[in-house]
Amino acid sequence: MTPAREAIVLPLLLLTVALLGGLQPGARIVFVPPSLFCLVLSSLLLTALVRSGALDPVRLMHGSRTPLANTNGAIVLATLLAAGAQVFAMLTPATGLPLFFVSVLFLVLLVNTLVANPDRVRLLRSLAVILGSGLVLKFVVLAGLSQPAGRTARVLVALFDAATFGSIAQDPQPAAAGYLAFLTAVLYLVAAAFLPGSERRETGTALRMQLPDV
Amino acid sequence: MRESVVRSIGLTASLAYGALVVWLYATQPQTIAQVSGGLTSIIGAYTIDQQAFDDGLRFFRADKFPEARAAFARADRAQRDARTQFYIAYAWYREGFGHLYNDDALFRHGLAAVDLAITLAPNGRLIVDDPDLQLHTGDELRAELQRGLQVDASDFNPLRMLRKRK
Repeated sequence: MTPAREAIVLPLLLLTVALLGGLQPGARIVFVPPSLFCLVLSSLLLTALVRSGALDPVRLMHGSRTPLANTNGAIVLATLLAAGAQVFAMLTPATGLPLFFVSVLFLVLLVNTLVANPDRVRLLRSLAVILGSGLVLKFVVLAGLSQPAGRTARVLVALFDAATFGSIAQDPQPAAAGYLAFLTAVLYLVAAAFLPGSERRETGTALRMQLPDV
Repeated sequence: MRESVVRSIGLTASLAYGALVVWLYATQPQTIAQVSGGLTSIIGAYTIDQQAFDDGLRFFRADKFPEARAAFARADRAQRDARTQFYIAYAWYREGFGHLYNDDALFRHGLAAVDLAITLAPNGRLIVDDPDLQLHTGDELRAELQRGLQVDASDFNPLRMLRKRK
């Protein structure tokens, strides 16, 4: 990894994700900090990135590196944690049953990813699926149900509200929120792909994939 | 370019950007004007629009309070100037004042504005030397607004109708 990528590109990308992840556009612009649960999810994701070889912390912080290089590495790790927390906070619905359901879904998916111990490529694909699912759920499905017009939506909301222990209706969001979330998720995935990985693990995985069992 | 130079540039840029992100989350600016005003006030370069402030003062002295607040808001777009916010609070007070009863909604706006003004003043000490005003400090105006919002036995005193607006 080049010094420019480690010292400039990655921190700026991740800080942008941390900034946009909490931004809620609308008549009043609000910056929402992540919840404690989102920080836990981000820590789990960080662990998964390390275990899969997508992130090799030794290449960011090590005794053999200069203090300046280690500071750059520490900033990458700190911003990665903050950006991950903001991405999960951004994709988690604000209230009601969806908040509980999606939080549990993220937790289960991340724990499952940790246990499955995928390689770098598979982890990044899995991460894209997790973030994409959250995006579609919150900004397409739930946002569609929260629109004031539409008889089907109203019937569905009423059925869910009666059958479950919480409302699924969310506050309507401006159209820009979905696009902003998409951009933020893409930036996070790009940053995750740019992370310095463990090269040894990647090579082994590639060989296994190229030589099927006969 | 040498590696240490690249790393130093990256470190500086990251720290500056990180500080901006933390500042945005801590202060919650609502508009671009508030963002730019907040940033310029950090380096001591924030100034109000003096022309708009003078317009606001003229409207204020003519008892045209909505017009005065609009002009003051235009003068201090970023809501960073304690003196202008004080006048906005004073405009809410004077408009809400009544001999029979005060308008609680307007007084609440005034209380919010004077709280902001006190927060913006250095060490929370806000003094406005304006001979047209009878309340010269943020603390006095705040106390007057709070008294106006309270309901007690004195509210039913008929002599209350004789009191003067400050």
